[in-house]
Amino acid sequence: MFGIIFRQELRVLSGNRTWWAILGLLVLLTVAAALNGKARFEQMSATAAKLNQDEATTQTALKNSVQRYDANPVGDPPSVASPGNVGLSILGHYAVMRHDPLAPLSVGQSDVQPFYYRVTAHPSHTFLSASEIQNPLSQMTGSFDVAFVMIFVLPILIIAVSFDLMSREKEGGVLGLIAAQGVTLRTLILAKVAARALILVSLLLALVILSAVLVGAPFTPPVMTQLALWFAVIVGYAAFWFALAFLVNAMALPSVTNGVILANVWLLFVVVVPSIVNVVASTLYPAPSRVELTTEIREATEEADKEAASAREAYLFDHPELAGASAGAMDGFYIQVLATDAAVEKVVTPIMAEFEAQAEKREGVVALLQYTSPAIAAQQALNALVGTGNERFTDFVGQVLKFHGDWRGFFTGRIIKGQRLTAADFDAIPAFNYQAPGLTLAQGMAWGPIVFLLIAAVLLSAWAARRYRRYPVV
Amino acid sequence: MLASIAKKELVSALRDGRVMWSAAIFALMLVAALASAAQRYADISKEREAAQSIVNTQWQNQGEKNPHAAAHYGVYAFKPVTPLSFFDTGVSGFTGVSIWLEAHKQNFAEGEPARDATAIARFGELTGAFTLQMLLPLLVILLGFAAFAGEREQGTLRQVLAMGVSPVKLLFGKALGAAGAAGLFVVPVFLLGLIGLTLAPGGSAFIGHALVLVGVYTVYAAIFLFLTLAVSAAADSSRSALVIMVAFWAVSSVALPKVAADAARLVYATPTTVEFQKAIAADMENGIGGKTLDALVAERKEQTLRLYKTDAIEKLPINFQGIVLGLQEQVSNAVFDKHFGLLNGAFDKQKGVFEALTVLSPRLAVQMASMELAETSLGTHIGFAGQAETFRRSMIDTMNKAMTMNSTGANPDYRAGPELWAKVGAFTYTHQPLSKLLAGLGPSFMAMLLWLAASIVAGVLAARKLKALAS
Repeated sequence: MFGIIFRQELRVLSGNRTWWAILGLLVLLTVAAALNGKARFEQMSATAAKLNQDEATTQTALKNSVQRYDANPVGDPPSVASPGNVGLSILGHYAVMRHDPLAPLSVGQSDVQPFYYRVTAHPSHTFLSASEIQNPLSQMTGSFDVAFVMIFVLPILIIAVSFDLMSREKEGGVLGLIAAQGVTLRTLILAKVAARALILVSLLLALVILSAVLVGAPFTPPVMTQLALWFAVIVGYAAFWFALAFLVNAMALPSVTNGVILANVWLLFVVVVPSIVNVVASTLYPAPSRVELTTEIREATEEADKEAASAREAYLFDHPELAGASAGAMDGFYIQVLATDAAVEKVVTPIMAEFEAQAEKREGVVALLQYTSPAIAAQQALNALVGTGNERFTDFVGQVLKFHGDWRGFFTGRIIKGQRLTAADFDAIPAFNYQAPGLTLAQGMAWGPIVFLLIAAVLLSAWAARRYRRYPVV
Repeated sequence: MLASIAKKELVSALRDGRVMWSAAIFALMLVAALASAAQRYADISKEREAAQSIVNTQWQNQGEKNPHAAAHYGVYAFKPVTPLSFFDTGVSGFTGVSIWLEAHKQNFAEGEPARDATAIARFGELTGAFTLQMLLPLLVILLGFAAFAGEREQGTLRQVLAMGVSPVKLLFGKALGAAGAAGLFVVPVFLLGLIGLTLAPGGSAFIGHALVLVGVYTVYAAIFLFLTLAVSAAADSSRSALVIMVAFWAVSSVALPKVAADAARLVYATPTTVEFQKAIAADMENGIGGKTLDALVAERKEQTLRLYKTDAIEKLPINFQGIVLGLQEQVSNAVFDKHFGLLNGAFDKQKGVFEALTVLSPRLAVQMASMELAETSLGTHIGFAGQAETFRRSMIDTMNKAMTMNSTGANPDYRAGPELWAKVGAFTYTHQPLSKLLAGLGPSFMAMLLWLAASIVAGVLAARKLKALAS
């Protein structure tokens, strides 16, 4: 009997214009979102490519001038042979994060968190606060990406096709007739939901694959795994909304009331709960004040500068280049700069650690409270899987800090020892090598939401199935 | 007649559990949002004021120094907050809160709060503006979707029309009733908000802004009310009226702003930070008016030597180094003006895309107007940065002049002290007067009024064609 109703539903749907319109809309939005995400990330890749070019050119130019002196060391070494001048003033190294190939599907935090930093031998807070120029209006609004279509739009489409599945039959007066055929209501509604879910899930599978193709992701095994899990999250999310509609239909209320209830639940889970969870997380573990950080850094700088005042004066108040100093003479200035840096860093390091600790606790709260809303759970998983969640950027900053240590060590060692840079040294300057974290981190974050969404869907369906036993047919 | 229709509508709304629950939750959220705004305003305004005063004291007490050393030390400008900026946080999560004002550089504001937030913040912050923009329309839809279609389904519409009630009167009566029901919940919250605002320190200066905001959100609700009534009158069932209105709300309020953001970004590209800085560096090399800095310095050197009738810089009674620094600022200021001008111009064009799309989304129009009135728009931020930059330039100029005049060959160990630091004064942000804010709101207000007019016309047309029976 299930089979008969199921096939009948498929036939009915194939001739239903609203149904086709909804599917068409989903396809259209997904394709547009994928292309839009692709455009955004192409811009970022283009930026990244240029960063590396510029840096190589500068480094080669420096090396060449030092090489000329190496070949013919007459007089004082040029200022570009000063490790202080190069490491603390001229040269910086762009540490660039590589995005995952699927990142365009979910822009996540990648429009807020920088994907590159210009590392110098100064303390890390001096370059970590830099950010990319962006219109804050666009950042506030957020990006139109595939994850948005799935989290915000998909539930509305699901509600639109399922809010009156049962109530409509009842209002049409055919429910009694059907029941008289010996069909249980559970079989009837299950067949109806199954027909819709089957078509929609097949379409979603096609759309997820199509989006991956559109954003130009290569189908390597890790990408396929990511994509499979991404799809699993979406299926779990869709199943949740279908199950909810299934349950609301089981309440035997009028169609219109079903619609109102489902619209309100959507609002609750997609708009209200996330904004409340956000307040909870940021109230429990607020970030330390950046305003206070600013004034404290200043206090420390001023204190340190007072000690170094006489030295600074000899270099025309931070203009050693105007003093016409050679490499050797310049390093005297940079030793003072290092001393100031060290004093400032002493103040900044504990505050930065506090930022990090609070952020970690905040994300911990979110990891727990994500289960208060399927939309949050889906968002966290969809971001994590394509590497655009905060955890990915925290990992990147960690790698940058480690690299910063190497870079700094290279220059400060030479500054303190008073060694000048040789051409060979320029080849030995450390370079940043981004290591994309393995899939385990992302998968760990995705399994929770996937299991949660599926369990929620099953529980809601089971509850609904019980209620259908007592559903009044007239 | 109008009154009795309105009364009937109000009573039936009050008896509808669905509506009452939704309205109560909505009012509760609005109160929570306003309370949290008051709390945050109290905390953050205190913090910013304290920071600004610490920085000002640091500047004043920096001891005796060469003026150029002081210029490098500089000061910070902290963006002040207003009570309304927590009613609608606008773009303030994504703009920096302080700017370092130092020699040679026009810096960007730093410390964007969004970087310290979790990804959930991207769903939207719980503010009064967010609650009103997202939830108020839905409440209005709930109140109105069954107004005509529901009565038609119950068969009462036939009776009412048979009594000779004009359908247009019916429309306005129902609108009045629904507005009354919504008002029962919203008006007390608005009053509460206004009282809170007068009590907040410095809040009374923004009562005018708040009243305009009340007007903006009232018009917003009215737009949705008349649209809903129009759809309810024209739709074949209350079910399809509900679906159509929820779909319209979702597309225009949730999806369209994002489309606007991405379209703006794709149509009018802004430079990356690196490109921006490279372009500035290149223009610094090129100089201004076809003259490089070196050429300008050489020219000025010659003039100065001629003026003082001497042949060497060392013999000048003034410090030529100070003049060079001044020329440097002159070049860099012109270059900054050009590039920040280009960037802000691009932002302005991007804003134009948002404004153009207000034709498709009443929420977008309200959002733009609301941010502007709460002084949390991008324009306000650029205005703050501009005032800070003006202050920076005058500060650096004061330092350079002091150096030129005092740090001379006769007095090579010249040190400036508190008298010079005091000359610079303290940075204070001047708020735009309300009249000026309103003038900038033309496009948004126009869009809102067009929407209102169109929705009323749609309501009247649909009411005139009202069918008593379902076809």
